[in-house]
Amino acid sequence: MAGAFDFAPAIILLPFLSFLLALTAGNRMPKGGAFGGIAATAGSLLLSIWMVLTVAGGATYDETLYTWVAGAGEETVSLTLGVLVDPLSAMMLLIVSLIAFLVHVFSLGYMNDEGEVGLPRYYAGLGLFSASMLGFVLADNLLMAFMFFELVGLCSYLLIGFWFREPGPASAAKKAFLVTRFGDYFFLVGVVAVFATFGTAQFASGGGTESFPALAEQALEAGETYFGFDAQTWFTIVGLLVLGGVVGKSAQFPLHTWLPDAMEGPTPVSALIHAATMVAAGVYLVARMYGFYALSPTALAIIAFVGGFTALVAATMGVVKKEIKQVLAYSTISQYGYMMLGLGAGGYVAATFHLMTHAFFKALLFLGAGSVIIAMHHNENMWDMGGLREKMPVTYYTFLSGSLALAGIVPFAGFWSKDEVLYEALVHGLGGSPLLLAAYAMGLVAVFFTGFYTFRMVFLTFHGEARSDTARDPHGVRWNVKAPLVVLGVLAATAGFINMVPVAELTGLHIEFLHKWFEHGFAGLTVEHYGTVLHDVAGYTAAEGVPSYAAGVVSLVLALAGAGLAHQLYNVPEPVEHTQRLGGIRDVLFNNYYQDEYQVWLADTVTMGVARVSDLFDQNVVDGVVDGVSAVSLATGRRVRRIQRGVVTDYALLLSLGLTVLVVVLGILGGWFA
Amino acid sequence: MILSEVPPTYYLFLSAAVFSIGLFGILTRRNALMFLMSVELMLNAANINLVAFSLFWGNVTGQTFSLFTMALAAAEVAVGIGIILVLYRNFDDVDVTKATTMRW
Amino acid sequence: MTRPRLKLGSHLARGVGAVALFVVMVLTFLNASFGEASGFPADASITASIGAAMFNLDLGGVPGEGFLVVFIVIAIVLDAALDGAVYLAKREEGGRFAEAFTDGGRDVVDSVLGGDDE
Repeated sequence: MAGAFDFAPAIILLPFLSFLLALTAGNRMPKGGAFGGIAATAGSLLLSIWMVLTVAGGATYDETLYTWVAGAGEETVSLTLGVLVDPLSAMMLLIVSLIAFLVHVFSLGYMNDEGEVGLPRYYAGLGLFSASMLGFVLADNLLMAFMFFELVGLCSYLLIGFWFREPGPASAAKKAFLVTRFGDYFFLVGVVAVFATFGTAQFASGGGTESFPALAEQALEAGETYFGFDAQTWFTIVGLLVLGGVVGKSAQFPLHTWLPDAMEGPTPVSALIHAATMVAAGVYLVARMYGFYALSPTALAIIAFVGGFTALVAATMGVVKKEIKQVLAYSTISQYGYMMLGLGAGGYVAATFHLMTHAFFKALLFLGAGSVIIAMHHNENMWDMGGLREKMPVTYYTFLSGSLALAGIVPFAGFWSKDEVLYEALVHGLGGSPLLLAAYAMGLVAVFFTGFYTFRMVFLTFHGEARSDTARDPHGVRWNVKAPLVVLGVLAATAGFINMVPVAELTGLHIEFLHKWFEHGFAGLTVEHYGTVLHDVAGYTAAEGVPSYAAGVVSLVLALAGAGLAHQLYNVPEPVEHTQRLGGIRDVLFNNYYQDEYQVWLADTVTMGVARVSDLFDQNVVDGVVDGVSAVSLATGRRVRRIQRGVVTDYALLLSLGLTVLVVVLGILGGWFA
Repeated sequence: MILSEVPPTYYLFLSAAVFSIGLFGILTRRNALMFLMSVELMLNAANINLVAFSLFWGNVTGQTFSLFTMALAAAEVAVGIGIILVLYRNFDDVDVTKATTMRW
Repeated sequence: MTRPRLKLGSHLARGVGAVALFVVMVLTFLNASFGEASGFPADASITASIGAAMFNLDLGGVPGEGFLVVFIVIAIVLDAALDGAVYLAKREEGGRFAEAFTDGGRDVVDSVLGGDDE
């Protein structure tokens, strides 16, 4: 199957073609470009499955396809575009293309059947987004990843602002773009730093031996120094710079403020971009560069702490929300916090496992919410819903499957992955890192809140009695809405079985398929290599004697406790708001810990101040120099021209004096007066 | 062999002196006709030089050249008188320091 | 009877240019060296040689370059100079002087076109 990898660029090009098609001919197509998008993503899905099968056979692929800046000479850098297919990227390709395909099908029901206008623009945006995200996954060097990172952000802006004639979506799109761009600035500085330090930004070149993580490892062993810092400090700095982009894109604290506002976009967009794929880009990037991050325990600790903190804070904010999509948005922020916790704690497999399961169940939840929103005639307020369980059974059962997975109830997918993340944090924290233990504690508390808000959402939406007329008589949904829900519902229930660590420990069977999946690949990109580096360089040791099923039982109990509290408060025929009981915290939670106001204040004082000073500098110094030069020239000219009085004999005098000087000079040089 | 008894340096001094007197006249005289006469002086200083060296090198080129220079000087004076006429018509005075319109 | 007096005044200050040039030339000539002087042959006729040189003929004992082209050119130049002098001195009918004005004929243009915008 050697030909499989030659088709890798086609995975990116097919959705790009559907983008072009929708842009140019969308008006003339029956569904505004939908079928083109569905066909393209189906094609990408089939190719991704082929890639996965080929990689499962042990093959990997790293090829530079196009050099757009060829470095001249020996000590220079070449900028290239290339494709890297290894276990991590093959897995991500499958996830992204599957969800993109399902979202395209769902959009037929959400957008076309609801009679939306401007659909060619929508499908063009979806196509470009799919192409960009797949390009990001397949990128073989950091600069190419950055380019696609930005493209993905652009598509997010275009799609959030799809209904740009309303003030809300337009403003939300701008906010999303600006906040992620702020993080991407640090990312770009990091990319330049990588080029400057290593001369290459390849993730795996030379079979994994000449990539920048491999070079970094060698430099660390050799004890080199950079700009006066020792190697590990410098790598921490570079890692934190790249982390800026990750924090922005994956909506971690403090750059999480854009994601709840991004819910102004259409729900399929929220499902695709802001749940399963674009926000995954940040976490995927850290996983891709894990060989580099593993060299720096400080960076890992910061990642873990930020992740744990975000998980807790976002979960607390999700508890008081009224709109169903807002709850899911905060849930997304929280769950990505778990993934960052997993990566920072040294649980590479755990974090990528959670990435996969989360993509499935969060997309499922968003699509389910979309189905509910169609039924409720685009009213998102959960307090107007209720009793939809009987009227929308397919939606209800798939949504329940997703919620069980989100809350982490065994045997749904979320339990296995979230539990493994927490277990890794616990053992590595007990192995000698109090920061990791603190992060673990925060993640554990967040499990309680997760269970609570998830089931609050389920009970308010589907249980009890209908609280409004629309809920009593909901709009029906068709197969194009239900089919993706069913597919994802099955996946949310079963995807966890590929890596059941507690069961493996208990029974001794080797059923950790995902762990085995990551075992082969390029030399620096395998799970064993990461484990070695984490142990030797970062000093991570796993504490012995803590069985994983024990940690699993603890988190399961907490999740059930949260669900139980929600059941008690909200699974009644006529639930009421209980937020008054929170007392003073209520206002803080409602206002999202005032983060938005804080960021606006920062922009108004700090950024505006810096901008004013720069403007002064530009006006007075830069313009001053230029104007000054011309002013000097004009003034001198005005004075010098007074020599020309018009008297002929003056001119004759000047002529003859000039001649005399010339002759004297020539004479001195020629030795006439010697 | 007809040689000159005066070393060529003295001829050069004479020529330089006449030239400088002519130049002095150009720089200080205000009457346009005197200006023209000074120009003539300068031309003739060059002629002195030419003839002196024609004798020194024994070549007749210098003297022939100086003849042509004289013819050229005559032509130049003819045109110069015409210019002075026009000058007088435009400025009502032959004083060269009074015609100062060619200025900034 | 008054005798002619030298007109002294500040306008003589310009003459310093001429003095400077004279000084430079004298200094140059003092340090100049010449070759072997070779004069004219004793029996040759110099004027005959000048005449022959003017017409590129090889008569006359003293050597010299050919000035035939220069002769023709100077003839043309003298002719042109004469025409120029005549033209500059011309008067027009009606008392106005000829077309040589120092301001490029702006007065003429103004009077013809009626003194419009500057």
